[in-house]
Amino acid sequence: MSAQKPAQSDDPIELLADSMNVWVGKLSDIVHKVIDTEPIRNVINWARMYSLWPVNITTACCSAEFGAASGARHDLERFGVLPYGSLRQSDLIVIEGTITKKMAKRLRMIYDQMAIPRYVIAMGDCAISGGLFHDSYSIVNGAHEFLPVDVFVPGCPPRPEALEHGIIMLQEKIRNSKVYPQS
Amino acid sequence: MTTTDKPAQESTLGSPSPDEPGAQTLTLSVGPQHSGSGHMRLIVELDGDIIINAEPDPGYVHRGIEKIIELRNIIRSIPVIERPSIIDASNLNHAWVKAIEELQGVEPPARGQYLRCLLNEMNRIMSHLYWLSIYGVFLGHTTMFMWPLGDRELFIDLAESLTGARITYSYLVPGGVRRDLPQGFAEEAIKRTEYFEKRLDEYENIFFKNPLFTSRAKGVGVLSRQRAIELGATGPTLRGSGVEADLRKDEPYAAYGELDFKVHTRPDGDSYSRVMVHVDEMRESSQLIRQILEKMPSGPVRRKAPIVVPRGEAYSRVESARGECSFYMIGEGGDKPYRARYITGSYRNMAAISAVLQGVRLADMPTSWWSIDYWPVEADR
Repeated sequence: MSAQKPAQSDDPIELLADSMNVWVGKLSDIVHKVIDTEPIRNVINWARMYSLWPVNITTACCSAEFGAASGARHDLERFGVLPYGSLRQSDLIVIEGTITKKMAKRLRMIYDQMAIPRYVIAMGDCAISGGLFHDSYSIVNGAHEFLPVDVFVPGCPPRPEALEHGIIMLQEKIRNSKVYPQS
Repeated sequence: MTTTDKPAQESTLGSPSPDEPGAQTLTLSVGPQHSGSGHMRLIVELDGDIIINAEPDPGYVHRGIEKIIELRNIIRSIPVIERPSIIDASNLNHAWVKAIEELQGVEPPARGQYLRCLLNEMNRIMSHLYWLSIYGVFLGHTTMFMWPLGDRELFIDLAESLTGARITYSYLVPGGVRRDLPQGFAEEAIKRTEYFEKRLDEYENIFFKNPLFTSRAKGVGVLSRQRAIELGATGPTLRGSGVEADLRKDEPYAAYGELDFKVHTRPDGDSYSRVMVHVDEMRESSQLIRQILEKMPSGPVRRKAPIVVPRGEAYSRVESARGECSFYMIGEGGDKPYRARYITGSYRNMAAISAVLQGVRLADMPTSWWSIDYWPVEADR
């Protein structure tokens, strides 16, 4: 931050404030490092892994298989996945199928409003590369074009078991990740 | 979410005087990120918590399917045709192959026709069960979310053994169906449909007679018989308003002319009637599956049909789970149609959303509009 300043001020109060900022910054660095050590990180990641709440946004027809996966037989809640209405308390976007240009704007808006850490699963061929509708005039060919995707689940539509596998893969990724993501 | 009675100085509600029209109302945007909206947005105008006007904002799932089917040959188009209503794939597929067969002049063999009806009826049950489970979610009744989805898997397993896919079958092709019944299918199907009918009685006790449901569905979201006909509603929505209209009966296609079944209607036109029409149809379809398996003739399931759309025009319509699904097709003699107009049941029922939601409380909004069985993916195509 100080590099962007044009010149050092002569005012002693400002100088003091600057040095305080540096000190506070260093302190937070130290706290981050302490929290990111093995035992504390494991506990935090364990909590994050098993409370992945997807936000209530359905983009297209894979929602039928997402519904089947949430229902009886493939109960997704045993992985800690509970579809939830409020996006500010959610951690996960499951992009269920084709993303139209109209929906892409809303998806990006939803992603930006969610709290960090947030994860994205692209479910279905359409969300990966356009799939069946790759030559349509009204769709976006893949979620990676405007969102950072963590896990891709292929299939048209993927079976509920495939979605479960994707969620387990995401949990593995969270287990090995840092507490404070760079983004 | 309250109305302003005093003149609003800093109000964001707009109008400075309470006497002006629109001064006491609040406009809400519901969706697409909302538990009660699905893949669409509803623009709701409220007076207190009474809805005075509701406008659907569709198009979030518009994928240009009518254009895509002009670019692929008729067999490669089948998966694209199915995608709009993935939970009711077989019925939409039927409308497509029916239009092509009408142009080609190909008549599928009798066993093929029966197999088509079999998958259609299984799909109707699956679609209604999926719809019922979401209805349960919108009412906050989690048991009613879990039970129908669990019982839907009964029929998904059956369909998987018949076609090889859970929900996207591509089973109907011009000239018949792709494959014959697997071994032991009939016994398994009879067992499962009988079990399912017992389950429907259990639903009756836990949900359909439950005051939680009846108090929020009886007399809510009324669509009168006259209004339903004016708006061009179709399927269970129209039958819930007391009109006895079912294409399976009115212009029998495939094997429906030889089957014995009833068209279920309810006279009241409220949410409750529409739900109960769905339930009655599930019972009827369950009975139909057993009847089809009993009456099914032997013989081939598929007749050879060329991959060509002869020059001419054809119009086909079938009764899908959500109402009338129709194709208007123009052929040029190539392997793709020159133009195919694709109308689905949800698209026609979209007009009923505003009519149903007028005068309904905001808390009853999700159940009221969902009782129309409007599937946005199908409507946007």
